[in-house]
Order: sequence, then structure tokens, then C-alpha cells
Amino acid sequence: MFLSAAGCDEACSDRVVFAVGGAPSELEAWEELAADFTRETGIRVEILRRPADTDQQRQSLILALNAGLSHPDVFLMDVVWVSLFAESGWLEPLDGFDPGPFFQSVIETVDLHEGKLVALPVYMDGGVLYYRRDLLDRFGLRPPETWAELLKSSLRVQNVLREKNPDFYGFVWQGAQYEGLITNFLEFAGSEGGFLLRDGRILLDLPANRRALEYMRDLIRKYRVSPPSTYTEMREEQARLYFQQGDALYERNWPYAWSLHQSPGSPVRGKTGIRALPSPAGEEAVSTLGGWHIGVSRFSNVKPQAMAFVRYVTSSQGQKKMVLRLGWNPGRQDLYFDPEILAALPYLAELKDVFRQARPRPMVPYYPQISNIAQRQINSALAGHIDAGEALIRAEREIAALLIRYGKPARTEPGE
Amino acid sequence: MKKTSFHIDRETRAGIGFLAPLLLCLIGLILVPVAGTIATSVFRDVPYLPKTFIGAANYVSLLNDPAFWRSLMFTLLFVLVSVPLETVFGLGIALVLNQVFAGRGMLRAAVLIPWAVPAAVSGRIFELIYNYSYGAANRMLALLHMEPANWLGSASGAFLGVVAADAWKTTPFAAIILLAGLSAIPEDLYRQARVDRAGTFQRFFRITLPLLRPVLIVTLLFRTVDALRVFDILYVLTGGGPGGATTSLSLFGYRYFSAGDFGYASAATVILFGIAFLLSLVYLKLGGFSREIR
Repeated sequence: MFLSAAGCDEACSDRVVFAVGGAPSELEAWEELAADFTRETGIRVEILRRPADTDQQRQSLILALNAGLSHPDVFLMDVVWVSLFAESGWLEPLDGFDPGPFFQSVIETVDLHEGKLVALPVYMDGGVLYYRRDLLDRFGLRPPETWAELLKSSLRVQNVLREKNPDFYGFVWQGAQYEGLITNFLEFAGSEGGFLLRDGRILLDLPANRRALEYMRDLIRKYRVSPPSTYTEMREEQARLYFQQGDALYERNWPYAWSLHQSPGSPVRGKTGIRALPSPAGEEAVSTLGGWHIGVSRFSNVKPQAMAFVRYVTSSQGQKKMVLRLGWNPGRQDLYFDPEILAALPYLAELKDVFRQARPRPMVPYYPQISNIAQRQINSALAGHIDAGEALIRAEREIAALLIRYGKPARTEPGE
Repeated sequence: MKKTSFHIDRETRAGIGFLAPLLLCLIGLILVPVAGTIATSVFRDVPYLPKTFIGAANYVSLLNDPAFWRSLMFTLLFVLVSVPLETVFGLGIALVLNQVFAGRGMLRAAVLIPWAVPAAVSGRIFELIYNYSYGAANRMLALLHMEPANWLGSASGAFLGVVAADAWKTTPFAAIILLAGLSAIPEDLYRQARVDRAGTFQRFFRITLPLLRPVLIVTLLFRTVDALRVFDILYVLTGGGPGGATTSLSLFGYRYFSAGDFGYASAATVILFGIAFLLSLVYLKLGGFSREIR
């Protein structure tokens, strides 16, 4: 550590350090992309491998940037951190970049800070519904349009299938005490007309949110269409594996699960369908916006080179490589019309609309803290410790105390 | 020991010389970070707000934060249940291992294995036991034709599950330290007691326990301080859930730390440090170590 930091001023003056975490296959793809970039420009890129765990990635970036270190120069941010990083003054404005080809709604809500572009989306995410096409056909059912339909068909199918497979459940989703729980909650709540932030105020205790949380709890505890382990174990991978083993009719997950469900050896290969999440009759589905954004550190000593790298990563060519290699959902909208990409990943045509309408989580710098509070209380309601209304009241009270601590008045919209 | 002042002086000087590297290490590695944490705890230290001195405000907010109280209560209860459990089991194992029998060396080594396993790994091992759909515990229930249980699904279930995992991992530590204490007790004492027709229980309570006391207190001290800062097994096994039921003070502080609220996290850590410090003083007093040194 000391050696590399001390010897860096001369030795790596032209080297861009890029912090990125993820699965080994993703890191490999980044290494290759960086190598391509070096071949074209002569600028060397050092990939700083971070843990796959999102919270640990955030922590390591916060520590480096809070100390004003010149490395990493470029990093990926989960969509919910961009506000924290921008408000802290850690992001160098991406002057001269054209955000035109990207999802406009995403650029406006996430990547613009005080009118300046500070980040760009490289990877898009939004909640989708996977279903077992073979089972729906067998029961003469259609994929559910509404949450009520989802419940009804889940009950019908699981009652029959459980005779042979006692582990079969209608619907798996993410209910453990972690960030994924909030993304799921906001989708249930959003389709009831609920929300977490409006007009700069954090609001949780709303009738719509209460109905949504009661519905989530009832899926587990009353109708038993979601496994009892939903609130203790279910994260993305646990839900994906549950569905992939053939033990569930429906699954809420991110688009990454699609290619794994369809991989050779998967028991649900060729039997799976994907569509937007259920919504109230006649209304658009609500999906929580996820994804990763790229930014340049304000403390970087090699800003021009760092900018060149970001330009390469976000270019049509760079994004296309990542899409074809990893089955990624690109941040550039134009690639969703690319014939070569659509031939390889036909489902992207549908996902485009999911992403266009996906709702961001509150874009406030203290989002991680309010999420921690909400996770704990919402999970508590799913566990049956307290009722849904009480959980939301307590969460709102704790969040209010947090905002007072940060000297925030009732209006909490940052930087507007 | 000679009593000429010159001689003591030289000895003292040599003593200081020998101790200095250690003292510097202690200052650099313990005192400075602790002082730094205390200093941070009196600031509002959040990256996107101006760093402001706020005195005891973080502590006042903590005392008004129900989540803080909950994790404090969880931490204390965890110490109260897990430490005696581990010490009693550890003592039992130590007494067995202190007997002479064939294969004792092998068994002594085998007992240490759980202690050698990193806490994060033992957390994963227990996850494979408690897991709802493919865990070993539910497989056993299935063999008995019973419904599967969501072992970590209730606050009490998660608490017991975590205590069991921690006890499995750290009992060997207590056992080995106590074993060292047991082997230091002279065999003659037992022989004499036998001549005086003292029974097994009498020998245990009149000889073993009193002579083991200093080592027992050291074991309790180590385990208490270690249990107070329990983190990794919770992080892996329950994530602090369900509903925050198994969030220890360390985990509580970590959540704020990793979200960038350094002041609040530091204040929580300082309180944890204070509790550990006070309990250590109590143990040292109970052990009467200062008396022995004099």
C-alpha cells in the first residue's frame, strides 16, 4: 500500500485507477474492456477490484474519497449513491459529454447535479416478473396483469403442485433485511399509489404504503404463497435459485436472472417468461430503478485520461462489448434498437420500456441511512413482530430524528 | 534483590528500554485510534454537510434512538447468555482433557478446530444448518416427518441461533485457556486431598476452582470483551434481522459508518468501548491481579 502510493507520482502519472466490484465474470469483462481502451489510446488502466457486496463497495469508496485520495480516479456507483457522492463534492463534472443517447428520465433524476452532468449510467436495472410459462399453460392461465391476479393464480397452482412438491410456492421475491427489501417494497407501494419521497419530504406512513406492506406480509403469513424464509433469507440470488430449481411459479427479480434461468442445465430453461411487474388495472407497472453509474473523482490527478476512459466505457462501442459479453442492460438507449444486440438478447426490447418508466429511490445523500431504518421496520412487520402501520410510523419517526440531527428542516430536497 | 539505588536505577532504565517498543506500539495502535474515535464522536461528521463541533449531541441523539437501545440490549443479553455458556462448557471440556487417557493429544487438537475457523466461515456453516429449504436442521425434521421450521424467523429464534453458533466457535477458546490453568495446579494437592478422603466434588470446589480463579477470570474477561463486540457472525448469519432483532452495537455502528455518518458511528463505538473498559476493570478487581503484583 505505502509503496504504491509513494511511488505513484511519477510511475503512474498516466495510469487511470478504476474501482469496480462484482462477480468474477464481470471483473474479467472490465479487464478486457480496459485492455482494448489501452490498445486504442495508450492510456493505461489499473482495475482496482472491489468486493461484490454493495455495502462494502460503498464503504471503501466513501473512505477513499472522504480522505481526498487521488485514487481511484474512476469508479462505479450504485444508482442510490450518486446523490451522496455529488452532494459531498466528490464528482468531477463530465463537461462535454452528450447525455442525449441515454435514458432521459434517468439522466434527469440521477446524473444531473445542480444542472451539471456528474455521472452516466453504464448499466440499467429495473424489477421484472418471471413466470413459468409451462405451468400457466397447463392451468390455462395468462401471465398476471394485477397483483390480485398474481395472488389468485399462485394459490390455484400451488395447491395442486404441493401434493407432489411440498416446497412449491407461488411467488418468491426479496424480503430479507437489506436494500433489496426497499426496492421490492417501493414496487408494491408504487402500484398502490404509495411513495417514499414527495415534494422533498420523506413520507412512509401513508394508507397506500400500509396496504402494500400488509399485502407483502399476507403473501407470507396469510396466503402462504411466499415461503416463510422470505423475510430471513430471500435476497436476489436466493429467490433466483428457488425459482430456477422449479419450486416457484413467479419470481420478482432484476433482469440478470433471465440468462441464468435460460442457461444450459437450468431446470426452468425454455419454460420461463419475463414481463413487467403487475400493476393496478389499466395503469403502468411500477418498477424500482436500479443500475450502476460511472463517475470521475474530483481528486484525480489524471482527469483528462480518466475522462477519456469514461468516454470509452459509455460509448456505443464500449457499451456494446459489455452487453454482448455479459448480457448487460446498457445505459444507452440507442443500443436497445441495435439489430445485433436484439438478435442476441431479444428481451431487451421489452425491458426498454421498464427502464424508461422505472422509479428512482429517493435521490437524497442520506438515502443509505433512511433505507437502513426502513429496512429494519419493514422487515419487522414481515416477521410479524409489529403490524404494518406501526412499522411505518416508527420508521417515519426515526427518519425524522435523523433529519433533525442533520439539521434538515421539513423540506429536504438536496441541491434544488 | 539488592537495595542500592544505583542498581535499581539501572534495572529500571533497562526495564523502560525493554518496554518502550511495546509501549509505543500500544500508543500507536490503541491509544491513538481510541482518541481519534472519541474526537470524531463530538462532531457532526458527514461528507455532504459541513463538519461541525456539536459536543455531546451525538450521544444525546443515541440515547433517544430506539434502534440504539435495542442493539445495546441485544449486545448485553448476548454477553450475559453466551459468555457463561461458553465458560461452563469450556470448563467441562478442559476437565476432561486434563485427565490422562489414550488419544488425549489428538482430542486436544480436534477440540480447537472450531476456534481455528474464521467467524465469517462459521457463520456460513450455521447458515447451512438453519437454511429453510436445504438446511441440515430442516432435513432432520423432515426425516422425523415434521414441518420445516424457519429457525431464524423470530427474534428469540434468531437470538438462540446466533448464541449457538457463537458458543460452537468460542467454547474451545475457553477450554484451552482453562486447560492451561488446570495443568498448572500441582498434582500433589489432589493426592493429599485423597489421603484426607476428600470426594470428587470436594476436590473440585476446594482445590480446583479456587486455584483456577485467576485463569477463570482471564477467560471471562477475554470472552466478555470479545462477545461485546460481536459482529461477523451476525453480519453473515442474520444480517442483523429479522427486524433488527440481532443488531449488535458493532453492527449498529458499522451501518452508520458505511453510510458515511462517522460522528454518530464513532459515538456508538465509544459507548461500546466504555462498557468494555468498565467491565474489564470489574474483572481485574475481582481477579485481584493488582494485589498479586504488589
